[in-house]
Amino acid sequence: MTRTQRIFQLAKRDFTQRLRSRAFLFSMLLIIVLALAVGPLISLAEGSNKASVIALVGNQPNGSEAAIQQQADALDVSIELKRFTDLNTAQTALSNGDVAVVVNGTSELIYDKTSSIQLSAVITNGIATAQRQIEADNMGLSTAQVSTLLAPVQFSERTLTPNNTSQDNARQAAAFVALMLLYISILMFGQFVMMGVMEEKQTRVVEVVLSRVKPTDVLIGKVLGIGLLGLIQIVALGGALLFTVSTAHIANFDLGGIGIKVFGMLIMWYLLGYAFYSFMYGSLGATISRQEDMQGVAMLPVLLILPGFFFGQIALVDPSTTLARVTSLIPVWAPMVMAVRSTAGDVPLWEVLLSIALVLITTVLLIKLGGRIYRGAILQSGKKTKLRTAWRSASD
Amino acid sequence: MLRFDSLHKRFGDVTALDGLSFDAGTGRILGFLGPNGAGKTTAMRCVFGLVKPDAGEVTWNDKPIDEPTMLRFGYMPEERGLYPKMKIGEQVTHFARLSGLDRTTAKESAERWLRDLDLGDRIGSKLEELSHGNQQRVQLATALVHDPVVAILDEPFAGLDPIGVDTMADVLRSLAARGTGIVFSSHQLDLVADVCQDVVIIDNGRAKLVGEVKELQRTSPTRYLQVEVDGQPWTSELRGVDTVSTNGRHRFVLDRNADLGPILDLAAHDGEVTRFAFEPPHLTDLFREAVQR
Repeated sequence: MTRTQRIFQLAKRDFTQRLRSRAFLFSMLLIIVLALAVGPLISLAEGSNKASVIALVGNQPNGSEAAIQQQADALDVSIELKRFTDLNTAQTALSNGDVAVVVNGTSELIYDKTSSIQLSAVITNGIATAQRQIEADNMGLSTAQVSTLLAPVQFSERTLTPNNTSQDNARQAAAFVALMLLYISILMFGQFVMMGVMEEKQTRVVEVVLSRVKPTDVLIGKVLGIGLLGLIQIVALGGALLFTVSTAHIANFDLGGIGIKVFGMLIMWYLLGYAFYSFMYGSLGATISRQEDMQGVAMLPVLLILPGFFFGQIALVDPSTTLARVTSLIPVWAPMVMAVRSTAGDVPLWEVLLSIALVLITTVLLIKLGGRIYRGAILQSGKKTKLRTAWRSASD
Repeated sequence: MLRFDSLHKRFGDVTALDGLSFDAGTGRILGFLGPNGAGKTTAMRCVFGLVKPDAGEVTWNDKPIDEPTMLRFGYMPEERGLYPKMKIGEQVTHFARLSGLDRTTAKESAERWLRDLDLGDRIGSKLEELSHGNQQRVQLATALVHDPVVAILDEPFAGLDPIGVDTMADVLRSLAARGTGIVFSSHQLDLVADVCQDVVIIDNGRAKLVGEVKELQRTSPTRYLQVEVDGQPWTSELRGVDTVSTNGRHRFVLDRNADLGPILDLAAHDGEVTRFAFEPPHLTDLFREAVQR
C-alpha cells in the first residue's frame, strides 16, 4: 500500500464514519429541504403583487372606468375596478384590505393608511380624460379631432448608467447566496477537521495511527475525508437552490444563463477556501485535547475569515472597486470576495488566476506550517499546547 | 534483530534516555523493566519515530528503520486509545489497511484476531459498548493484526484480570513461537519472569541489567537462603550476613560460594529443619539490585 493509498484510507474512515452519523445526515437533509423551499417561497411572495382594487362610489363622468384602465395600462400598473353602491361598504372593504383606494364621486380619494401617488395619478388622469371627452363631444368636435386633442404624450425612457437587467438581479442574488454558502461551509467543515483532530488526541488513538502514518499525512487524510463530505453538502445544497430557483419562474430573474457558471465557481472556491482554512483548523486542533478548549482556539480562523465576509458584501454592490479588487487577491479573503466578484460582475481572467495561484501557494505553506505544529503538538500531554512549544518540539 | 543503539533524549531539563542500548531478538520475548519514569515509553516511541532521539538510533537488522520496515512492526501504546464510536471489526480492519494489508487480507486478518481473542461475536459492536478488558483485547488485535515481525507492547498486562493475563501471555508465547520478536514493558515482575526469556532493566535512561533471565539468575554472585525450623521461619542473627524480608519470606543474602554447612548446623541446633532452600535471585531481586532501591 502506497503512501497515497494510506492517506485515502484515513480519508475514507473520516468520510464514512461522519456520513453515517445521524446528526450529520439529518442536518444535511434539513438544509436541502429548506433550500428546495426557497423557490416556491419567492414565487409566493411575487404572487402577492396582485392587482390593486379601485372601488368606485357615487357618480363619475361616463367613460371614466375605461379611461382609468387605459391610464393604468399606460403606466404598467395592474388594477381592478369595482363599483360599490354605498360609501360605507366601500370603506369597510378598504379597512379589510380588499380594496386599495375608494373613489368617492369626483371629490375624494380615500386610502386606508398611506396614499399611493401612482394610483392617485391613474385615477385623476383617467377621470380627467373622461371629463374632457364629454366636454369635447358637447363642443361638437369630430371623433378624429377628439382623439388628436386627447392623444397622450408618449415618452421613451433611457438611463445614462445601464439599468439592472433581470440577469444582473440574478447574478447579485446568486453571488449573495454563494457568499453565504462559502462562509458557512468553510467554517463548518474547517471546524469538523479541528474537532476530528482534537478527538483523536483526546482518545489517544492518534498514537496508534502515528505508528503507521506520518503526521502530515494523517492531517492530509483528515482534511480530504471531511472536505469530500463538505463538497457533497455544497453540491447538494447548491444544486437544490439552482433547481428550485430556476423552476420557480420568478419575474425579473433569469438564472438560466449564469446558473452553471455560479455553481462551478462556488465549488472551486469552496475547495480552495476549505483547503486553506482546514489545515489551519487541523493544526490548531492538535494543540488541545478537551472540548472546552475548542472555542478559544477556534476563534483565530473565524477572526481571519470574518472580514472576508464583509468585503464580499461590499464587492456584491460593486465588484470593480479597488477595495474589492485588492481583497479578492488576499488569500484569507479571496475565496469569498473573488467568488462574489466573478459571480456578480465580470472579472479579468488574469485576476482570477492570480487569486487562485496565491491561495494555492499559501495553502502549500500552510500545510508545511500546520503539519509542523500538528507534529509538535499531537503527542504532547497536558491540557493545551502553546503554538511555540509545538513549533519547537517538532524540530527535535 | 531490533537494536537500541545508545539512545539519548532530553526533554528540557529532564534526561529521559541516557545512552540506552540493548538488542531484541526475533522469536524471543523480552521484558522491558524499570521504575516509573525510567525511560521505557520514550525508548519504545523511538522505534516508531514518535520521539526522535537526540543521539543514537534504533536499527532493524543493522539498518535504520524506514517506513516499509516500520509498517511491519506492531505497537500498543501505554495510553490506550481507539475510536470509541467505530465498530471493532471495521476498526481493526482499518488499522490493518494502514499497515499495508490489502482489503481482503485486512478484513480476514482482523476477524481472525478478534475471534482468537474471544471477540468473534462482537465484531459488529462499537468499541464503547465493550468492557474495559475487551477494549484492551481490541487494542492488542490492532497492534498485531498485520502479523508484525516485531511487537512493541507498552504495559500490555496493565488492567487485565487474571484470565486476561493468561490470554495475553498465551498470545505472546504463540507469537514468539511463530518468530515475532516481542518487547513488552511491565511492572508485574512475577509475570515477566513467567513469560519472557530475556530481560532489560533500565533506570534513569540507562540499561542496568541486560540478558537472559535464567542466565542472569545463574551468574548472579548473590544467593538467597531460606530456612524454616519446626515449620517456622528461622530468623537467627548470623554474623556478617544480611537478611531481606519480602512478602513475609525471611531470607539470608549470601555469596554464591558461601559455606552452608555451619548455617545448617546452627539451624539444626534450634530444632528440626523443615526447609533449607538455597536459590538464585528472583527477578524482583535482580530488579532491586539493578536499580538499587
